[in-house]
Amino acid sequence: MTNFCVHRLLQRSAALMSLLVIAVTVLVLLSPAWGQGGDEIKIGVIMPITGREAKPGQYQREGIELAIKQINDGGGILIKSRGKKLPIKEVFYDDGSDQSRSAGMAERAMSSDGVVAVIGGYSTALGEAESVMPDRYQTPWITPGAGATATFSRGYEFVFGTLSPIDLLGYTTAQYLGNLVDKGKLSKGLKIALALENTDHGVEYGRGIDTWNKEHPGYFNVVFSEKFELGATDFSGLLQKVKNAHADIFLADAHLQDYITMHRQYIQSGMDHQMISYGARGPEADARKALGAATDYIFAGIWWSSRLAYPQVKKFNEDYLAFTGHPPDSWYPATAYDAMRVLAVAIEHAGSLDKTAIRDQLRKTELKNSILPGQVVRFGKNGQIQGSFVIVQNKPDDKVDIVFPLDAATGESVAPKPKAH
Amino acid sequence: MSAADFLNLFIAAVLLAGVYAAMSVGMTIIYGVMKIVNLAHAGFLMLGAYFVFEAYDRFKIDPLLGVLLAFPVFFLLGMGVHWLLVRRIATSDQPTLTSLLLLFGVWLVLQNLGYLIWGNSDRAILTPRTLSSIEIGPISFPTIRLAVFVVAVASLVGLEFVLHKTWFGRSVRALMQNKEAGQIVGVNVNRTAQIAFGVGIAFAGAAGGLLAMLYSFNPDFGASFQLRAFVIIVLGGLESFGGVAVGSLILALAETFVILILPASYQPAIAFSLLVVALIVLPEGIAGLWAKRRRWA
Amino acid sequence: MGQEAAVGVKDGGGNAGSSSVSRFVSVVAPLLLLASLAAVPLVGPGPNIVRLLFMTLTLVTASVGWNLIGGFAGQISFGFAVFYGLGAYTTALSINGGIPPAIAFLLGAVVAAVASLLIGLPTFRLKGPYFAIATIGVSEAVRVVMMNVPFTGGASGYRIIDKTRFVQSHHYYTALVLAALAVGISILVRRSKLGLALTAIREDQDAASDLGVNPFIAKLAVHALAAALAAAAGGVYARYSLFIDPDGVFAFRNGIAILLMPIIGGVGTIWGPVIGAFVYGLIHEEVVANFPQAHLLIFGSLLILIILFEPGGVMGLLQKFLRFVRARSSVGSHS
Repeated sequence: MTNFCVHRLLQRSAALMSLLVIAVTVLVLLSPAWGQGGDEIKIGVIMPITGREAKPGQYQREGIELAIKQINDGGGILIKSRGKKLPIKEVFYDDGSDQSRSAGMAERAMSSDGVVAVIGGYSTALGEAESVMPDRYQTPWITPGAGATATFSRGYEFVFGTLSPIDLLGYTTAQYLGNLVDKGKLSKGLKIALALENTDHGVEYGRGIDTWNKEHPGYFNVVFSEKFELGATDFSGLLQKVKNAHADIFLADAHLQDYITMHRQYIQSGMDHQMISYGARGPEADARKALGAATDYIFAGIWWSSRLAYPQVKKFNEDYLAFTGHPPDSWYPATAYDAMRVLAVAIEHAGSLDKTAIRDQLRKTELKNSILPGQVVRFGKNGQIQGSFVIVQNKPDDKVDIVFPLDAATGESVAPKPKAH
Repeated sequence: MSAADFLNLFIAAVLLAGVYAAMSVGMTIIYGVMKIVNLAHAGFLMLGAYFVFEAYDRFKIDPLLGVLLAFPVFFLLGMGVHWLLVRRIATSDQPTLTSLLLLFGVWLVLQNLGYLIWGNSDRAILTPRTLSSIEIGPISFPTIRLAVFVVAVASLVGLEFVLHKTWFGRSVRALMQNKEAGQIVGVNVNRTAQIAFGVGIAFAGAAGGLLAMLYSFNPDFGASFQLRAFVIIVLGGLESFGGVAVGSLILALAETFVILILPASYQPAIAFSLLVVALIVLPEGIAGLWAKRRRWA
Repeated sequence: MGQEAAVGVKDGGGNAGSSSVSRFVSVVAPLLLLASLAAVPLVGPGPNIVRLLFMTLTLVTASVGWNLIGGFAGQISFGFAVFYGLGAYTTALSINGGIPPAIAFLLGAVVAAVASLLIGLPTFRLKGPYFAIATIGVSEAVRVVMMNVPFTGGASGYRIIDKTRFVQSHHYYTALVLAALAVGISILVRRSKLGLALTAIREDQDAASDLGVNPFIAKLAVHALAAALAAAAGGVYARYSLFIDPDGVFAFRNGIAILLMPIIGGVGTIWGPVIGAFVYGLIHEEVVANFPQAHLLIFGSLLILIILFEPGGVMGLLQKFLRFVRARSSVGSHS
């Protein structure tokens, strides 16, 4: 027993401990410099580019980067306290559609990587997780992809969003359908079946529709309403229940992947309704490629359309195409593009890189030639913008028309939609 | 619900069961011969899906043909993986943690390769067949589901043929029953294991292709099916092929019909609850129950 | 005769070596580590490092906990996310109900321990892979249920309302104390009769029961302890992040991570899970931040390499290295 064992034990424990101590020390010493470096404005961008939300996350990232490029091409943002223009440096984080990572990245960006602001959070879930950090680290945060009002009703002071509330989306959808009734295209008293995704998004969408219905009794009758799990592979059970409800209008609220899966099974089971919508999804290129003519006449309530007739939208479409090599897909890049632009304006008005000053400016700033409907970005008291939606309807041959509000329309609504077979 | 609706659903469930069976049989072979739980199964399902997709997208090969092509391609791939990695770990007549984890590592790698090669978009295979349905009176079912079902069943029948009529098949069955006895009788364990692994992966790849015709997919594809495969092989008994068929049917029926009573958001829980209940009530799976009854007789 | 034993590393360190020098070292070395970790926030390395170490320390607790049942008893569970999640939610609900954090963590641990009994009772009699698969089933079933239960927010998640000012070091020290406690419990179990019983069970459950050990009770006991630790880790995490949701804390990949850490470090040893947690926590975060597209590849390859070449994990490597050094030095001294 003996020297041998002692020796071994000594060596093993000591070796192990020293390993760990060394690791910790190295980590501490190698930690990046705290605070703003030199002559640039660091802005954190947190988007999912892998995982479930990867596609829209990618598009939002592109929107932000286009804005940054354009600003930097002009020399950057003028900072009065430095007496010159400073370029923006993007610090990008992929949160992999994972909420705890999203929160961790936000914390990291705001605390150690020395950013003056963070744009991030595609989808309500990721946004909710990140929204804990802005007040904790007193750093402004703008989300271009999370629209649930829940995120903005907690009394946070550093939280902003360029996505209008989802209840308004539901409300506008119902409003559009009501308008069709008024114009005589749809009869009164039609039955609606709702399939909502099991998230804040789905809940608020349903609530928006309910609100409109309560304000306008007699127009529609919701006969079925149920929640489904995100990312399921098989919706045939749900669709069977929808079938059993014998509704006239089918309104679902889903993410892109579920939209594709569900609609494919919808068609395969021979279902048809007078009007079909998947919430904020409809014209996405991936869906049209996956489902072809089956997506015709689906309508969607979205935060922006490339068909809006503003000159700045036309320019954005051209710039985006040149920058990324593909046209803007649905609304995703637009809210992100304007989030960056309104941030830049706020930073300039603040005159310095002080985060609280920037936050104060965000509360007051208006972005005047916004590409979003209404052409102006102005944050409400709770940090969320209260913009308006457009309803778009897919038309044959991959075309899309804005059908509502009427003063922005580029085409007529086709309602009820033609029968599928 | 009318009788026609009920029949429609029942047929839908049966068609689904066919695909589920094809998907799970790969795991059964590998487990039976090598006592390895193939956690990389999901990764090969995903690769199979992309294989058939690319064949269709680039070379205009009909997806059903693509699935048939997937068999030999993935067979070779499976043998390759076995030669490179799997044969280096010790196996025994009990499943080992090492094998579980090795294959889990393989799954992670495959998933990332998927991302690197194909990016993160959702893909789908759209053929004229995809959205059409066949109608017989009040019953209708999607053409694509029928086609997939036929291919799945054909491949299972093919497997049964191989298992019962070829030397390799007999070796596999011998090893599954008793490894040592098999060796004594002259079965080359290593060779058989390698081929069995290849066959298992071949089925995974082909099944992935079949699934790709039904659902859209991206590199994360496979995980939920893998868990379903677990349910099926546990229900059926980890080493029985007949059990796989029965297990698939039970799962497909449960998923299709229970949903009518429960809210749709509980759907994933069906598979898992079935799994847990089955494990507690039928620890050896349905096949075990069957075997016990035979022993009793 | 289980192959499971071949995977772990035989850790005789706890029982060999009765000389006072070795005991001195085996006490001082860990204390040194503890002290250096405690000093970190005081040295002022920046909140990100502290956050990183905080997360790592919660992982240490979960990892050491899992090792009690997975390493000491050889019962491999893939579903520890369920305990982590139960701890997170119980803690969150309690704190919102006005209960002080320390009690909230304890409550989480108790709830998880009870759950572990409910889970263990029917599943421990399952053999081999069936048990592992059952744990996956339970974990995922709970996740789906939690996604639908309105009381805890369902899929929208649940938020802790915390009006107090955020002081990062408070959370950090909580995690550190918990991790130290976990390791302490691990050592105590190892040295106790229970630990001996578990080793016997791991080697050969039937033989052990023939010798008078009640495997069922032993496993249930240690499962409860393991669950309690994992839950405490979840609770500490919840209090820090303030926002939890079923797809986050109950995620299958959490259960996998909790299992991976002891494997990497050396399953069945005292310090293996600690090393594994550090490796996973620190490397994983750095890899993810810098190579967002490749982290799965790196991690998967690492796992494959470990399994193929050193199943004993880092501890196994260390043992081999020291044996090598000792062989070299003893050749020299036995001249």
